[in-house]
Amino acid sequence: MKIKQMTILAAASAAISLLSASAATAQVLQTPLATASPAEAAEYLAYSKCQLCHGPQGHSISPIYPALAGQKAWYIVEQLQAFRDHSRGDPFARGIMWGMASQLDDTQIAALADFYSKQTPFASDPAPFLGSYIAGQVAKGKSIYNEGIAATGVPPCSACHQGDAAGNDQFPRLAGQHAAYLIKQLIALHNGTRVQVVMNGVAAPLKDEDMKAVAYYLESIH
Amino acid sequence: MNQFSDFRLNAWCRSGAVLALLLGIMVARPAGALPLFARQTGEACAACHVNYPELTHFGRMFKLQGYQLDNGKDLEMISDEGKQILSLPAIPNLSLFIMSGYVALGKALPDSNIPGAKSLKDGIQFPQQVSLLYGGKIAPHFGAFAQVTYDSSADTFNIDNTDFRFADTVVLPNKTKLTYGVSINNNPTIEDPWNTTPAFGFPYVPPEIAVGSLAGPVINAGLAYQVAGPVFYALWNEQLYGAVGFYRAAETGSTSPGNPITGSPAPYDSATSNVPAGNNPYWRLAYEYDFDRYALEVGTYGSRFRLYPGGGNALSGLTNNYTDVAEDFQFQFIGEKNIVTWKGTYVKENQSLDASSFLGASNPSDWLSYLSTDATYWYNRKVAFTLGYISTKGSTDPVAYPSAPTLCAANTCGVAVGTPGAFPVGVTNSANSNPTTNSWVTELKYQAWLNVQFTLQYSHYTKFNGGTNNYDGNGRNASDNDTTYLLMWFAL
Repeated sequence: MKIKQMTILAAASAAISLLSASAATAQVLQTPLATASPAEAAEYLAYSKCQLCHGPQGHSISPIYPALAGQKAWYIVEQLQAFRDHSRGDPFARGIMWGMASQLDDTQIAALADFYSKQTPFASDPAPFLGSYIAGQVAKGKSIYNEGIAATGVPPCSACHQGDAAGNDQFPRLAGQHAAYLIKQLIALHNGTRVQVVMNGVAAPLKDEDMKAVAYYLESIH
Repeated sequence: MNQFSDFRLNAWCRSGAVLALLLGIMVARPAGALPLFARQTGEACAACHVNYPELTHFGRMFKLQGYQLDNGKDLEMISDEGKQILSLPAIPNLSLFIMSGYVALGKALPDSNIPGAKSLKDGIQFPQQVSLLYGGKIAPHFGAFAQVTYDSSADTFNIDNTDFRFADTVVLPNKTKLTYGVSINNNPTIEDPWNTTPAFGFPYVPPEIAVGSLAGPVINAGLAYQVAGPVFYALWNEQLYGAVGFYRAAETGSTSPGNPITGSPAPYDSATSNVPAGNNPYWRLAYEYDFDRYALEVGTYGSRFRLYPGGGNALSGLTNNYTDVAEDFQFQFIGEKNIVTWKGTYVKENQSLDASSFLGASNPSDWLSYLSTDATYWYNRKVAFTLGYISTKGSTDPVAYPSAPTLCAANTCGVAVGTPGAFPVGVTNSANSNPTTNSWVTELKYQAWLNVQFTLQYSHYTKFNGGTNNYDGNGRNASDNDTTYLLMWFAL
């Protein structure tokens, strides 16, 4: 029995040393210097806190949290300020981001936005066993995105968000975003818990199945 | 005033002071009037919990990353080199849980003093339990979840679930995330973030006024708060989780007897029963896959505990060895209005009872199995319905599980076996010496607010201690132990 216990202890310490070794070759969380520059402080914040949902480089693993890698800096600034002053009020904003943004000042917000906007966008990773379902949604979504829905007066999304949905200095990046997050936002814009005058109007006539189709299409392009 | 009364008085004074502190916090921070972690993170309970204590994906990450995420002001101190040497939350993260319950049994229990008479059929516990919790960041990378509970039936304060952690997250060269850490805790499986393992598993708050069945696997909270040890863990890419650790005998809570010679806390001696010998290993492996609004998990866990029977026998030589191997799964769908969760675990325990069988107190070996599965549907986070099934099976052991009805004598129920005047009451024994116990659990919950909850639970036993009718040989049926339980739960 003693030998077995020693083996377990040895295995545990080996695992820990392995982790330390990999940590040496990776970006390691460090206690920040009190004199850190805004960019260094933002990177520390991103790696110590934001990564819990949004992933280490803004690539969230759970699809209910938005990917931030490559998002436009102005959009991240606008959203963080809206969380901080409670003007963005969809359920996740209230439940999570109001708290998270409450202690951020404008300098931190600008530095965080800069950090995430410089990360390389990732390809989203839809569930492999939903392949044929998603393929059908993508085809329908592509049509809605580029041509709108004439019958209900939904304008083509591409009119503002551009054909590649990569975002510009007026409209946020949507390409490669997690479908689950986009659906949640379209619902919030549809029912008005998230206020954005133009998008409230666009989303008002959208049906659940339209939202899903557009979201899966956007997830598929990157 | 004896020592015990002094202890209670001190405990009440301490709890009064903490309560005053809590009230102070609430006055100071009205905007954050949500418990503990919510106060620290500024986030609603629903971010981490489907319903307490069941965690969401976010809650699991928060726990494994050492309860670190915070959003309040810290008290800070820096060294001459400009490095932080203190980063302490300015407001301690404290919470209070208050649970009160009403329980009615299927049929009244026999009276312990008067042969043929009955006890009351129902009872109220007001409160059933009051818990003080500290949770959250202690320092960067160090966090804790610690619970002290007042148990009204024992009228004592006890150390409850306690988990101190160090955790760190690194980005690997292939850009994936690795979280690793160590949890030092007092309840096997408490380090685990899924709600399939026993420490935070179903049923979450069972009624205290209930008849306990004969047996359950050791890992199933059998040694909760009587052991402590480190568990090392790692989580890769929020998906693959592994943990390994060990537990040793630990003196916790006021119910532990300590060492009778010194009057001080342990080392234990033969006055205590079932004392863990040396280091007892625990392990866990799990995989979670998240897509759309779904989170799926499958895993396995287990432990091997060597226990000295104690209870008058020297704590040396032969031990009873309990090897537990378990599988588990969890399904969560968290939608806008609808939430569905389904989870289950199956534990198989092999018992090599060298010590007990040498003492003539059991078979040389026995086995137990434990199956628990439950599904819940929530509508709008307001109303929920749960259906669960729990089944314990095991080998027949005429020595460990005596068939003769339990005896009671006036005022000394269960002790003065065979003394003049003793009379049979049964209830806790098994006429066929088998521990098999199966029950269905249904629950209806109403959540007025996220921190104010009412539960009506009904448990129905189809089998109890090996039988359905007259399972104790004294006329009691399994369904006589059914419970109707109304629970009121407040958290602040």
